Amino acid sequence: MEPDAQLVQRCLRGEGPAWEELVRRHTRRVFNLCYRFTGNSTEAEDLSQEVFLRIYRTLASYRTAYGGFPTWLTSVTRNLLVDHYRRTRRDRVTDALDDVMPKVEEKHSPVRTPDKAAMARELSEQVQHGLSRLSPELREAIILRDLQGLEYNEIQEVLSVPEGTVKSRINRGRIELARILQEMGVRPD
Amino acid sequence: MNWTCVQIEERLSDFLDGLLPESERREFQAHVDSCSNCAPLLAQVTHVVNRLRAIEEEQPPAALVSKILDQTLGPRKPERNWLGWIPLLWQPRFATGLVTVLATILIVFHAIGVSPSNVTAANLNPVNLYHSADRRAHLVFARSVKFVNDLRIVYEIQSRLQPASGPAPNQQAPSATPAQPEPKSPRQSQGSSASGNFALVAVALADGPGGSFR
Repeated sequence: MEPDAQLVQRCLRGEGPAWEELVRRHTRRVFNLCYRFTGNSTEAEDLSQEVFLRIYRTLASYRTAYGGFPTWLTSVTRNLLVDHYRRTRRDRVTDALDDVMPKVEEKHSPVRTPDKAAMARELSEQVQHGLSRLSPELREAIILRDLQGLEYNEIQEVLSVPEGTVKSRINRGRIELARILQEMGVRPD
Repeated sequence: MNWTCVQIEERLSDFLDGLLPESERREFQAHVDSCSNCAPLLAQVTHVVNRLRAIEEEQPPAALVSKILDQTLGPRKPERNWLGWIPLLWQPRFATGLVTVLATILIVFHAIGVSPSNVTAANLNPVNLYHSADRRAHLVFARSVKFVNDLRIVYEIQSRLQPASGPAPNQQAPSATPAQPEPKSPRQSQGSSASGNFALVAVALADGPGGSFR
């Protein structure tokens, strides 16, 4: 597989297929980052398009010295997500109370399908709801570390904060999420 | 060093991510093993982290890549793929339609007398198809007429045997044709085959010439 850096160079020479390959390779990663942050598939789709549009326009500013292309891409995505969060903060405050109740009721639903896919879906929804109740700083740290599997130094680069802050946010985020999920009835087997 | 609960909470992720030196790891574990507050906290956080890592990635919408490429590279020509329609056949609505059409063709072929295992160009000639269908229709008609006539005979015999089911006719019959076999009961004759019908006819004839049998 051709390395990302090489694809970027080909893109900068105006080769459309190289850009297409780059988009196909990283769409899933960007979409999941957006989806886990916003908790909404449509919003995540729109944001993913915005991310790639921004990447396309600023591709010339990418240097391998900044780190791997995925880290840079994650960093751009994260900045865009923060912008989006600030833009939509006012709307969310009014929705917050309505949002809590129906989701909490879902966990009491007696109907549990033994189907594996249904269980995976339920798990994903519970965690998504827990994540949405975390502060954005803690949420992004947890998403990058435990869902995207980034190393501490990569998260440090993406968030542009010291390593101690990254560790502290991840730790607080995990404990907070554990308490939220415990309130929702999610406990160790 | 004895760890406090606050220290345990602060270093929880270091422990889970394997970032604690061995000596600190042992002390951490010793505290957790003996603390009723920290043990459940560690269990719950470990459970949550495992759950987070077990979550499968969401599949992005199929059209997302195309939308991104359209926005960045501009609208592109649709790819020409001559075999692109094949996956459509697996969609339930197409598959159901296809099966229905095939079943209809089989039924029609069967009705007009063309065996699917033995289809030739001559069989598919419209003139031959017409003759074949005509022949089959006449055959079916003739069989139906025969069946109805057979039924009439059977019912006539049954109606004649019905009043004679008592002992009196049985006593008369042997005197007329002593060599005849024992008449069957109506129920038995109803379930018998065409050859059984002939036996009934014989019994009816033996019963006397006054019947309406033709």
